[in-house]
Amino acid sequence: MTRRYLVRRLLQVFPICAAILLVGFLLIHLAPGDPVLAVAGDSGDEQYYAEMRERFGLDRPLPVQLGIYAGKVVKGDFGVSYTRGRPAREVIAERVPASLLLATTALVVAVVVGIGFGVVAATRQRGILDVATSTVALGLYAAPVFWVGQLAVLFFALRLDWFPVQGMTSADRSGGGWHHILDVVHHLALPALVLASQEIGAISRLARSGLLDELGRDHIRTARAKGVRERSVLLKHAMRRALLPVVTVIGGRVGYFVSGAVVVEILFAWPGVAQLLVSSVQSRDIPIVLGIFFLVSLIVVIANLLTDLAYVWLDPRIRYR
Amino acid sequence: MKTCRRFSTAILVLALIAVGCSDDDDTETATEDTTSTTAAPTRGGTLVVAIDSDPGGLNPAITTSGATHTAAELMYNGLVELDDESEPKGELAESWEVEGEGAVYTFKLRPNVKWHDGRPFTSADVKYSFDEVLLKLHSRTRASVGAALEAIEAPDEATVVFRFKQPYAPFLQQLDVTEAPIIAKHVYEGTDPLTNPANQAPVGTGPFKIAGYTKGSEVRMDRNPDYFKEGLPYLDAVVMRVIAKPETQVSSLEGGEVGWLFDVPGPDIERLKATGNFDTLETAINPGGSSCIMTVSYNLDRPMFKDVRTRRALAQALNREQFFERVIFREGKVAAAPISSGIPFAHADDLTGMPKFDRAAAQRLLDQAGWKREGTATRTSQGVEGVPDGTKLAFEFLSFPTFVQYGELAKAQLAEVGAEVTVRAVEPPVFADTVFTKRAFDTSIISYCNGADPEIGVRRMYVSSSIGPVPFSNASAYRNPEVDALFDEAQATLTKDERSTIYRRIQEAAVRDLPYFWIVETTSTRMFSDKCKGFGPSGHFAETAYCTT
Repeated sequence: MTRRYLVRRLLQVFPICAAILLVGFLLIHLAPGDPVLAVAGDSGDEQYYAEMRERFGLDRPLPVQLGIYAGKVVKGDFGVSYTRGRPAREVIAERVPASLLLATTALVVAVVVGIGFGVVAATRQRGILDVATSTVALGLYAAPVFWVGQLAVLFFALRLDWFPVQGMTSADRSGGGWHHILDVVHHLALPALVLASQEIGAISRLARSGLLDELGRDHIRTARAKGVRERSVLLKHAMRRALLPVVTVIGGRVGYFVSGAVVVEILFAWPGVAQLLVSSVQSRDIPIVLGIFFLVSLIVVIANLLTDLAYVWLDPRIRYR
Repeated sequence: MKTCRRFSTAILVLALIAVGCSDDDDTETATEDTTSTTAAPTRGGTLVVAIDSDPGGLNPAITTSGATHTAAELMYNGLVELDDESEPKGELAESWEVEGEGAVYTFKLRPNVKWHDGRPFTSADVKYSFDEVLLKLHSRTRASVGAALEAIEAPDEATVVFRFKQPYAPFLQQLDVTEAPIIAKHVYEGTDPLTNPANQAPVGTGPFKIAGYTKGSEVRMDRNPDYFKEGLPYLDAVVMRVIAKPETQVSSLEGGEVGWLFDVPGPDIERLKATGNFDTLETAINPGGSSCIMTVSYNLDRPMFKDVRTRRALAQALNREQFFERVIFREGKVAAAPISSGIPFAHADDLTGMPKFDRAAAQRLLDQAGWKREGTATRTSQGVEGVPDGTKLAFEFLSFPTFVQYGELAKAQLAEVGAEVTVRAVEPPVFADTVFTKRAFDTSIISYCNGADPEIGVRRMYVSSSIGPVPFSNASAYRNPEVDALFDEAQATLTKDERSTIYRRIQEAAVRDLPYFWIVETTSTRMFSDKCKGFGPSGHFAETAYCTT
């Protein structure tokens, strides 16, 4: 891979994000609904609404608003939240750690459990374990996240009392340090598993079929004939190439983790970006919505870039120019 | 409550015995609490409360947002508080005098009240709060009080005088912590109240003071040990957890993670009650407003609805008992008058013209109005003024997504008399834009909250000066000079008896002209752990609450 390729890919991020912001800006401004309503409530006088529109710059023509907004974004300023009276960047940044924690944990769980399921199923083809893992994986893949989440709450939180129902921490903040970390992990477990559930299904199916494909190839037969241990055959010779489609799926599904997180964050009252996005869309808090659009598109673009880079590591025959 | 701490075994045992012996109160009042509060209050404990959205800010003086008011009102006070009958009782004001036939209000402030930062509360705070914040940024207070007020004076530290241009009767009902919370001048003066950092870490006078605000997650408040109401509050802390999904709120209550819900979905109420672990409090006070009536509005700009016979027929075709049973699960009551029963002096529930469910009469009236029907087909116009002959009696019914069940039931009921209804649910901002700005609707349903006085939430529905583009104003575009004049007269009349008569005349006109039809009065069912008692319905709901372990 050349440095030129990397620079070119990184430079592509800017026009893509700019295009997404432009489309987002136009969509949200052209959609019906007045952002001032969220601030003014339901019983202001006409002058009050006019003053608020002027305050937020909503009384100016759309191209002027777009120009002002673009000028600010270039300087890293996403405007001031209408409903919170604080910089949108600051409001969004407060929520990023919680979302990042949930999404990365879910991603790690999905990859580890998904590949694990795939390996078990591939090495015991048509055995009981294959049937069992495949059935669970397909079930998880087919089930909508909101349904899995609701069932998980009813069973694991309410019936078994293993996990809390909501939040990122307990309302009782009597302990600090390790107690706090364990408290967060305890709260994180169920939403992360639910968010990971669908991906576990997808990844395990791909890992299984990829491994079965690889295990039937000549170089695997040669390795076995040379007396290489089955464990090494599997992990060293078959796994790397079998993971290529899995990586493609993971990279391409970052968008899912963001959209799935909306449902999971709302269901488990997780204080992340997704909850903020939903409430901001409802109240037409444009600076927040556009800021989140920008953040999410940046994450998706970077995830795609990382996926492309991972191909090279997994299969040295791949070259970018 | 997992977090309620043990205080004293003896008190606890006594409290539990007392609670165990208490009877449910079945009497119908404006606020119905199914618990007894005869047990001796115990000090201590933490109450965890579920709120449905992040408040964003905690200054209730700059907004009417229900999310902000729900989360912040425990930290502030008004000059008065309102009792169950919406009658004012002194809070930051110790007493008051009304002079000039209702045009001058003089308040004596309570002495020794301190802000949470220890500074003394004075009349300068009241004057600043009104002049610089409430009358500029609190949309309801600005629209009502602001339009009538001439000047505010603070002749000494303990006295505030409000002078109105003419007698202004509803003022005392507009001074509670919801309509006019008082904020600290020394914190806000010289800053932009909308962006002042104190909006995130408030300094109030209320029973609880801020202990932490984790955005998107929780607002944590500790007991204010210097609160001016002696001995209150009992709880050590209140934690408001942001839980957007009603189902998750209910699960959290069942799991013991939360001790108080502001509202419970209708189908869950009986199930939760049956567990025996929870008590309820039914109230007409909601974070978004009080004494709300689900109201159908006819767009009177549409020729189809210009004839009052059509409007009356459609109203008579609606079986409101079914809305009461099937849509609000008996949480509230069938509306008996245009003004809510939550404002007893103005509520006229014996008006003869109030449409009652009568499908046969509705059919006859539609025939008379020129909407003819063949068999079971949709009616078509024959000689309806402004409507081409052959036009179907087909129209749209617009609502918030949360109110779509009203539309579905109305559609089914109106189909019986030959009206074809299309239900359309849109988000609140789109609804407001469609109904009040563009006026691009046929009929709609709105939760009009009447407030503590008709001046707060009823006037805007009927006076001709309130026709668009301001949201949630006169949706029907009702124009009646007689009603306009009556509202002005009521505003300037001081005695309740006289005002009652005027509001009765207004309701007679409303029932005669039917620009709206009033379906049901809605209430909310607060549900809470049976280990906690002493709740009130208003913004200061936890001021007198206490919990046992």
